[in-house]
Amino acid sequence: MESSEQENVSLREFHANGTRISASEVEAKLDQGNIQEAEDALREGLSLNFEEARALLGKLEYQRGNVEGALRVFDGIDLQAAIQRLQPAFSEKQPAKKGRTRIESPSISQHAASLVLEAIYLKAKSLQKLRKFTEAASECKRILDAVEKIFYLGIPDIQVDNKLQEIVSHAVELLPELWKQAGCYDEAISAYRRALLSQWNLDTDCCARIQKSFVVFLLYSGVEASPPSLAVQIDGSYVPKNNLEEAILLLMILLKKFCLGKIKWDPSVMEHLTFALSICNQTSALAKQFEELMPGVYHRIDCWNSLALCLSGAGKNDNALNLLRKSLHKHEQPNDLTSLLLAAKICSEDPQLANEGVNYAQRAISNAHGPKEHLKGVALRMLGLCLGKQAKVASSDYERSHLQSKALESLEEAIRLEPNNSDLIFELAVQYAEHRNLRAALRSARHFFNETGGSVLKAWILLVLILSAQQRFSEAEVVTDAALDQTARWEQGPLLRLKAKLKISQSRPMDAIETYRYLLALVQAQKKSFGSLQISSKVEDYKVNEFDIWHGLANLYASLSRWKDAEICLQKARELKKYSAALVHTEGVLFEGRGQNREALCATINAVLLEPNHVPCKILMGALIQKMGLDSEYLTVARSSLSDALRIEHTNRKAWYCLGLLHKLDGRINDAADCFQAASMLEESDPIESFSSIS
Amino acid sequence: MSGDEASVRAIDSLSAIVPSLARTTPSTLLTNPEIYSQISTLLRNPNSGAGDNNLCRWLYDTFQSGVADLQLLVLRFLPVIGGVYLSRVADRKPQAGFEAVLLALYAHETTSRGGQPLSVTIPDLTSPSIYHDAKGAPNKSGTPEVAVVSPALEPHGTVRSTRRARIVGVALELFYAKIWQMPVASKIEFCKFCRTWAGQDGEMYRKTEGGEKEVEGRVPLPWELLQPVIRILGHCLLGPNNRDVELFDAASEACRCLFARTMHDVNPKAILPIRSLMTLSNNLMDKTQLDPTELPFTDVISL
Repeated sequence: MESSEQENVSLREFHANGTRISASEVEAKLDQGNIQEAEDALREGLSLNFEEARALLGKLEYQRGNVEGALRVFDGIDLQAAIQRLQPAFSEKQPAKKGRTRIESPSISQHAASLVLEAIYLKAKSLQKLRKFTEAASECKRILDAVEKIFYLGIPDIQVDNKLQEIVSHAVELLPELWKQAGCYDEAISAYRRALLSQWNLDTDCCARIQKSFVVFLLYSGVEASPPSLAVQIDGSYVPKNNLEEAILLLMILLKKFCLGKIKWDPSVMEHLTFALSICNQTSALAKQFEELMPGVYHRIDCWNSLALCLSGAGKNDNALNLLRKSLHKHEQPNDLTSLLLAAKICSEDPQLANEGVNYAQRAISNAHGPKEHLKGVALRMLGLCLGKQAKVASSDYERSHLQSKALESLEEAIRLEPNNSDLIFELAVQYAEHRNLRAALRSARHFFNETGGSVLKAWILLVLILSAQQRFSEAEVVTDAALDQTARWEQGPLLRLKAKLKISQSRPMDAIETYRYLLALVQAQKKSFGSLQISSKVEDYKVNEFDIWHGLANLYASLSRWKDAEICLQKARELKKYSAALVHTEGVLFEGRGQNREALCATINAVLLEPNHVPCKILMGALIQKMGLDSEYLTVARSSLSDALRIEHTNRKAWYCLGLLHKLDGRINDAADCFQAASMLEESDPIESFSSIS
Repeated sequence: MSGDEASVRAIDSLSAIVPSLARTTPSTLLTNPEIYSQISTLLRNPNSGAGDNNLCRWLYDTFQSGVADLQLLVLRFLPVIGGVYLSRVADRKPQAGFEAVLLALYAHETTSRGGQPLSVTIPDLTSPSIYHDAKGAPNKSGTPEVAVVSPALEPHGTVRSTRRARIVGVALELFYAKIWQMPVASKIEFCKFCRTWAGQDGEMYRKTEGGEKEVEGRVPLPWELLQPVIRILGHCLLGPNNRDVELFDAASEACRCLFARTMHDVNPKAILPIRSLMTLSNNLMDKTQLDPTELPFTDVISL
């Protein structure tokens, strides 16, 4: 800040009233502490009055970096009186917006005003540099108060000279910063609002800077601003009610200004908006903002990737995947690790996409090296998940078991790299369970449960399912009861459903009915109190369908041969969902129970027409045909129906059993024996609900 | 009971537990750094969270006194309490003492929110606002978009495992609401616990290369916990106290660790805000701030 000075010669000069003098003499006098003499020298040299001389002196000291000296000089001026003198000059003035009358007198008065205001401004800056923030803020505020009084109808466009406008703009921008530095946050908020809501004739850059600074304050200071005063509210206009709303509004306005070409691009605006909208669970609104940006602001690939993150965060995985497919195309950026992992994750949730997901996961693995090596475990995990899902739609037994073992391999390798990743532990447990390696599954499930402290509902459910698969029903019930104890009411649906099924497995159907009744009451209460507004999206995940309960009850009554009760439940279920293969299947079961095999067979055919892949119906069809002793051509139908069922659900023991019966009927004893053995083995390890319900 | 009486009561019972703090006066209760460090240390003792722990009892009673300053005092210890509590969940230690304090904070928020969710209306620029005029026909299609920032609270009398994250999360939301009144030490503590909870080393996201180390103490981080954590970190990084170098460094490290964690979880909802915080705080470190309110320095001084 100090320009190089030789001993007595300063490079600085004073210009005023058409003359110029060197500043060296004056500086020398100031250095000696002689303010009065310095002032006199100036007044003589440039024919200035007292105030003008002091103002210049103060400016000089400030330029030299002697802020204390500057303050001393400014203290000598009675700035308050100077302001008072300015006011009468303007109070009779009519703000002539169009005409150019009275240019003469305003310009002189403006000149005097800008002199005084600049002096106060420099005083404030000096105090700021001395870290006397509160005093600085008071000084700065005086400028704005004075300007408001002088230009009480707002600063008219044409008539204010540049100097004055510059001071005012600076003061408007400085004041909130000073209050912030002083720790007076309420005053800072008022200052920001005053800056943005009153008419100061700020240029767009200055306005944008203040808006951005306000946004940062609103988002991160932790001080909740009270809503803007009623004075500024106009009918119909949006008034933000809290910090987040105000910040988001201002950020959107800033983006709009950029899009209209009024201000330069500032990437931090988008970052702040990302933060704000993510916090509000509104990444879909964020996606819209990205889309509305002009092309070229972000590279298209970055744009697609950010959009994909936003959409995926909002649950719109299909759209996200489409974008990722574009950005991972071989001509674009096929090796971006984040995108690959996200794409793989999305694909891992849908068996139809699993094959594609495998490809992304493998690419991710090959790209996880160097600084990104820490993500290799994640990539392996995604690979394992995708392979596991792919196995579900495998077309042959060989392919299915091959994929399943590869899936397990990947997950095991992943967990060696990420031993503490609880999601991975869970997924491994599910894979083991589906592989019927129940001991390993239980070990992993217990590990997951401990790692998460029982805070995740699926940990409990998995334990119950595994224990039930091991035929340890009473222990499973103990766990279920413990889980019911540790969960809030609205999450208990799935647990109660499991409990009912456990009761059935332990041959306590009356208890099961009781449990179903309780569950029904819960679900109906849930429907009543929530309606459209959810308490939490988490609850949605764990809601039990009322339809499922009625259907479950119908099946239960059917197994107890209570046909009337079963019919009533079916009717209730039908009210909720008219065309359901599951319901028609139960109808078939009822017909069969009452000895009406033909009607039962018709029901199964209807059901398969409704849903071609409905496994229980296929099995029932096969079983009925075999039972009814029909001709051999029908037996072929039965066999193909059961094989189809097994293709879809490889581990369905009932299907194996029925297929065994068919083989026996046909005289193929060896095949029958194999089937019965499979059925028997599966029976020993069948969970009460499929493991895929929680994966 | 007036505020002063309550403070005196609180000091008396505190000195029974921590004799070295006997000389505190009501006026220094909030400002004495000794109080913070002593209690903080005691809270980390092996059995500090047990149901019969005196310190937890004191914290609970002090918060329940209803005196605003005393409640702020208790709130300062939330990072330590929450941090130690969550880390010990996996050990199956009984922590009824900590849970009582957390439930007190949760109950306070439940009452003050009156069953309403905290929500935000997303502005639509086609309608005018106090900060801008909208030209052209407003887009009057349907109701304004309301986003729920924090869902409505159900009262809880005990900490059920599946509600644990929500209860701690709400306590953190309360902490955030008062954060500008929290001392720096409390915030630094919070950042350190974030690192533990992430269970992930964030070294690879530093600008300089580093090795990977396993960090103990990983806890599940559902959104109801992550959301207030991210807001508090935002304050530590970009709020008006970011001139505190120690806090900024601790917060940056916490941010990196949490970013590493969200990347490992492939959690896009959390990746977005944390990535933004990292970018913004890195910018802060890089940029030499140009002060737009500084008048240009010239050699010509004129009227």
